[in-house]
Amino acid sequence: MQMGRPVIARFGRLATFPIFLALLILFWERSIDWFSIPRYILQRPSDIVINSAADIPRLAEYTMVTASETLLGFVAALAAGVPLGLAIVTSQLLRRTLYPLCVSLEMVPKIAFAPIFIAWLGFGLLPKIIVVFLVCFFPVVLNAIAGFSSLSEELTRFSATTGASAWRNFWRLRLPAALPQCFVGFKFAAVNATVGATIAEFIGSDRGLGFYIQIQTGNMRPDLAFAAIFVLTLLGLALFGAVTLAERAIIPWDIAQRRIRGRS
Amino acid sequence: MTQAAVGTQAHISVDEVSKHFGDGGDAVHAFGPTSFEIEAGAFVSLLGPSGCGKSTLLLMIAGLLPVTEGTIHVGGERVRHVRTDVGIMFQDSTLVPWRSVRGNVELQLELRGLSPIIFRERIDELLASVGLADFAHRRPYELSGGMQQRAAFCQAFVHSPPTLLLDEPLGKLDAMTRERIRADLQEQWRRTRPTVLLVTHSIEEAVQLSGKVCLITPRPGRLHGIIDIDLPWPRDAEVKKSPEFVRYVNEIGDIFRGYGVI
Repeated sequence: MQMGRPVIARFGRLATFPIFLALLILFWERSIDWFSIPRYILQRPSDIVINSAADIPRLAEYTMVTASETLLGFVAALAAGVPLGLAIVTSQLLRRTLYPLCVSLEMVPKIAFAPIFIAWLGFGLLPKIIVVFLVCFFPVVLNAIAGFSSLSEELTRFSATTGASAWRNFWRLRLPAALPQCFVGFKFAAVNATVGATIAEFIGSDRGLGFYIQIQTGNMRPDLAFAAIFVLTLLGLALFGAVTLAERAIIPWDIAQRRIRGRS
Repeated sequence: MTQAAVGTQAHISVDEVSKHFGDGGDAVHAFGPTSFEIEAGAFVSLLGPSGCGKSTLLLMIAGLLPVTEGTIHVGGERVRHVRTDVGIMFQDSTLVPWRSVRGNVELQLELRGLSPIIFRERIDELLASVGLADFAHRRPYELSGGMQQRAAFCQAFVHSPPTLLLDEPLGKLDAMTRERIRADLQEQWRRTRPTVLLVTHSIEEAVQLSGKVCLITPRPGRLHGIIDIDLPWPRDAEVKKSPEFVRYVNEIGDIFRGYGVI
């Protein structure tokens, strides 16, 4: 059974966390009875699954709402943030004006703007998209700035001795060199995005998973609130997973390089 | 010890060049004033302690840094902008991780708007000559430091520049690897005879590789003098064991000891 050992060892490494998680959920399941927790405080995971199954149509509808807000705000932040980051690196005027502004605004808790946008724009989708955009935009732009300034002095000088045009230099050196740091920003943004959407919905909305959590908590239905939290978690994971897959597809060399460096 | 002969076909001439960083009272005098000439096809080392401004001088010759005073001519033309008729190598390689070894060599051509397809055989030949034929499709991060610098050499030399500017290219390598690459470098130079300017702080390296060694004094760097290295080529292990080789190394060592840098 010598061949079998590495397989078992590998299985053991991979299985540790799922087993731990399963035990944790089992503990939750049993502790409701052990500690006689009233059902309006907390319910068993099994009851959460059974009860929320009855409300699937509404959960599905609200998931679509929150997912749209999250995705639209996130994509808009990427679409605006990366070009702005590049512009700030390229233009001295922007570097002296917009860059310090971005750094200062990064310090402001963006969520604080949410009530103002809702007061201005109403209960619809747009103010939520704007809040998601705001919480995603700054990590994207600041990391894009770092990325587009990351070309080493040696490569900058090497490129200069080739007489390459700015265009050629951008596509062959500056852009690929910037991508790893850009993806750091995208991942931060992906984590922030669902937080932004949920809180914006807390503040003022008539639809969405954040709205659902508030209503069901008010109704003394923690089981349904937990179901929505679970769906929100999946939403966040899906977005983060999509960014990670894109990273693997676009800059596989950076992942390979990090792995080799990490080993040595 | 001789001054560079005036009147022979000077490929690089440095005339009363000095460099200051910053201005006014805070200005740092980094280099010069210094004058010397290098003839075409020579292998010349700029040898001096760290911080003496020898890399600064190399960058000024490449047109990558402006001179504060004086003039530099390369190939009869005054250096005012970055020169594109050079190949350049640094201590940290200019290889990019998103391209293979071959792709990195092609990068030099692509940035110049040249077609890599036309240079196909040249690239094969160059990679083979430094023992990288089997690694053409590997990424830089899969190679050892020595192999990376050999690939960087191919990148710097693929377009057959008349001038090679080498800024401590072996500085980060271990002693054994350095020895191997010195031999490669010497062979490549002897084959096609570009003008090579090598910045180094290794006396042994300068003596082994160069026809002339420019001794640069500690900060602010000035030219102490130029030593002609009259040793047979190729400068292999036998030559390095010879009393003449040792004499050159000691002579130069004594000069730097006089400056208190050794």
